[in-house]
Amino acid sequence: MTGERPLTLVLLEMTLLVLLGPLVTGTIQKLKALIQCRQGAGILQPYRDITKLLRKGTVQADTTSGFFRSIPVLVLAATVAAGALVPVVRTGPPAFPLGDALMLLGLLALARFLTAVGAFDAGGAFGGMGASREMTIAPLVEPVLMMVVFSTAVAAGTTELGALATHRGVSWILAWRAADFLGFAAMLVLLPAETGRIPVDNPDTHLELTMLHEGMLLEHSGPGLGCMMLASHTRQIVAFGLVSALFFPVGLADGPGVAGLLLGAGAFAAKILVLATWLALVESSYAKLRFFRVPQYLGIGFVCAIMALALRIL
Amino acid sequence: MINFATNRELLLTGALLMAACYAAGALSSLLAWWSGRLALGVGHLAALAGAVVGLDVSLGVLLGDPGRTLTQPLPVVFPFARLSLSVDGLSAYFLFVISLVAVAASIYGPAYLRAHSPDAGPARQAAQVIALNVFLGCMAFVCCAGDALSFLLCWEGMTLASYVLVVSDDRDGENARAGLLYMVMAHGGTAMLLVAFLALTEWAGAFDFTALRVAAGGLDSATRTTLFFLALGGFATKAGVVPLHVWLPRAHPAAPSHVSALMSGIMLKVAIYGILRFAFDLLAPPAAPLPSSWGWTVLVVGTTSAVLGVLYALQQHDLKRLLAFHSVENIGIILIGVGLAMILWRREIAGGALATVALTAALLHTVNHAAFKGLLFLGAGSVLCRTHVRNMEELGGLARRMPWTAGLFLLGAVAISALPPLNGFVSEWLTFQALLGGASDFRGAAGLGIVFSAAMLALTGGLAAACFAKAFGVTFLGRPRTPHAEQATEAPPSMIAGMVWLGAVCVILGVAPGYAMRLLDAPTVELLHGPGASVVVTARGPLVLSVAQAPSGTNATAISMTVLAALLIALAAMAWVLRRGLRRAPRRGAPTWTCGMSPVARFDYTATAFAKPLRLVFATLYDLRREVTRETAGTPYVVRRIHYTGEVMDLAETQIYHRIERGISRLSQAIRARSTGRIHGYIAFVLGALFVALLLFGVGQR
Repeated sequence: MTGERPLTLVLLEMTLLVLLGPLVTGTIQKLKALIQCRQGAGILQPYRDITKLLRKGTVQADTTSGFFRSIPVLVLAATVAAGALVPVVRTGPPAFPLGDALMLLGLLALARFLTAVGAFDAGGAFGGMGASREMTIAPLVEPVLMMVVFSTAVAAGTTELGALATHRGVSWILAWRAADFLGFAAMLVLLPAETGRIPVDNPDTHLELTMLHEGMLLEHSGPGLGCMMLASHTRQIVAFGLVSALFFPVGLADGPGVAGLLLGAGAFAAKILVLATWLALVESSYAKLRFFRVPQYLGIGFVCAIMALALRIL
Repeated sequence: MINFATNRELLLTGALLMAACYAAGALSSLLAWWSGRLALGVGHLAALAGAVVGLDVSLGVLLGDPGRTLTQPLPVVFPFARLSLSVDGLSAYFLFVISLVAVAASIYGPAYLRAHSPDAGPARQAAQVIALNVFLGCMAFVCCAGDALSFLLCWEGMTLASYVLVVSDDRDGENARAGLLYMVMAHGGTAMLLVAFLALTEWAGAFDFTALRVAAGGLDSATRTTLFFLALGGFATKAGVVPLHVWLPRAHPAAPSHVSALMSGIMLKVAIYGILRFAFDLLAPPAAPLPSSWGWTVLVVGTTSAVLGVLYALQQHDLKRLLAFHSVENIGIILIGVGLAMILWRREIAGGALATVALTAALLHTVNHAAFKGLLFLGAGSVLCRTHVRNMEELGGLARRMPWTAGLFLLGAVAISALPPLNGFVSEWLTFQALLGGASDFRGAAGLGIVFSAAMLALTGGLAAACFAKAFGVTFLGRPRTPHAEQATEAPPSMIAGMVWLGAVCVILGVAPGYAMRLLDAPTVELLHGPGASVVVTARGPLVLSVAQAPSGTNATAISMTVLAALLIALAAMAWVLRRGLRRAPRRGAPTWTCGMSPVARFDYTATAFAKPLRLVFATLYDLRREVTRETAGTPYVVRRIHYTGEVMDLAETQIYHRIERGISRLSQAIRARSTGRIHGYIAFVLGALFVALLLFGVGQR
């Protein structure tokens, strides 16, 4: 049936996301460096980091239980599975149903839950502190993300991302209504929170009192840490993919031709680049918020999202 | 497997067999004269047999063709009422849920009771055996009751038996107080049910449900609504809906853990059965939608319960109390589905499909919650019987000592947090789809209300995940904080077997939910007289769950839990290869980094600390009490000791119940001040009361 993505394409897209994930992080780091008048590391640095980690041995805290070793495996698997639900180069639902936007958010939440559980296992205060902060932010981000998804889903009548993208079509910004702008604004507010960046979290810091996500990774080492890093790169690009599927699926070709696919891939790269630039700009121009100010910051997103929904429904 | 549901006689045989099993179990308590252990063993074995028969009967009805009600009159006991059994799809479904958890509890029970209270006398063991069997039997027959009288009798038996179990466990006064509060609240609820039922039987002139249904058809809408709200009040008290939940977090943890699993997992569901029976069956107006006030009340109450239940659960550090608060939350989630089904029924454009989705979500969450909450309570029970500590701050490091219990508890934690690929996600996904569909169906303020409820449901899911990261992490991971935790050993095999049964149910309902939709056909078709669950939800085969939100049904949302689980397993295998590394380097252990100090258990993050940020974020919803006293050595600069106590009070308790309590004590003090002890004062009171009574009666007569 036309308009559906064959399963091989879905798996290829998933692989593409995993492979490109570190590149996006590298690009953001490079852009940040350029904005801050530094030279910065090359954009391939995250790949070097991961391969270095995969070659290393493991040092494991001696109080950990059997769960600890499987945490990176499960976190990576859940995050990558979330990647399979995002349309990358073509619109349309997968040929055999897999999951929708709620499933995607659920899988990301599963990865986060397992990371937090793993952070407890070593028995240090930093892991618990990181887990506590991450699990405080997460329940506040999730409902707002869900509402942004709903605000587009109510119009399209489905929460399946490929079908949502098809519904929005190619004439994206010309057809945007006020609800879309508000929803997109909410998404831009949420994006730093979902990807663990300033002003909510700082991925570069390893200072005990400021880190959220990094605090949970402290006791992982070697290949396990490599898996966790790969998972957080993937998580970031999946979040980008979610934004572009919800708001600007332009360039996602309908036809099965190779040219269409290439065009879709190019468009996807361009969209990712735009979002990466946005994150780099935000990270360079704002300071990290005090932890208890974050709920207020997320409140902006909540207000935008609920206004978007209200405009859509009323 | 004998199919009991083929005809009435066989159904009667099945029901009698089930009753006989439970009765035999209750009678086996007599064996306690001889040996308490024997009584425990035989009593639980009989309960297991009863549960297996219950499963058989219910599966027979559910897998048979829907729309049939099997009624069987019972021998006349009371001259004024004819007792009968009546099993339709809804009854059978709840009987199925009850039996599912009862199997696990009766496998788990004997070893737990022996391990937890080895010094219990035969009298206590006998009481526990009687009460457990009566409890299970009454729950099963509440759902199979065909008339108001047997419903109320079984309902009361369920309350009394669970009261005995709540106070049976321990000697201290805490349990007795919890039991008393439970008794008072439960009987307040039963009183409301009695009024509702007796008013109906007065009009009908008979007790059986068929007559009640006919009588209710002729009621005007104000009476109908009053009766519904009376029944809702009664059932909501039993279900532990905010603000009627105050007994629940006290009574459930006090019972033995397998009974906690039964109370949280299924006793609350019997109340849901009652709400469904009243709303969609007994009181439903013929061929018209339900009054909109019903559904909206249930939806609002459900949403409130879900959010407040999980928020209070987050601040509990007693493992079983935390789980009890999560029952409040999950009952709220079920009621969101029920309320939405009431709102949508016979009102929507899509021809009944959305109401079916909402009811399916609610019923599926009923069985899901029974499975994972049962599992979690049994897990908490294993921890309790090995450490004798319920406060999770005194536990820790149990995963290395009790790996089976830890793994199964983690499974339950993932399921209850509504995370894929387990069963909690499936029913919440369906609830979300129904809410979204309802919102686009209604538009306007109603639609916005429904969507707000969806956002609150999302918040609930996130908070539940935070809560269970805490509960699992603090209890099972890290270092043991006290000798109790350090000396723990794995639970006996029979207890693990009970947990494995429920864990398997969680996995099966999560990975292959499409096959379970077949069981939901009979209740949904009978209640809504519309399309059944499997027609709407598994239209594209049992591997795919799909829901059409738009009336046109063109772009249905579809997910496949099975394919996703397979994908997850494949990806996990690949990640495992990656995890082993590119080079086989040795793995070595080292102490956890604690900034150069030698790590001890006090470095572990505590549950209080974990929940602190959320306590501050939601401070307005918690009534925080804290007290800090400093002992200083003469000068304020030298602090010898700081004593800190912090407590999170339940908002319902401080804002409603304490006010009522204060009002009652003020009233009684005022009465005491008037009681002077002089006899003519009392005579004047009595005469005055008589006069007022006569006056009122006279006015009423005219």
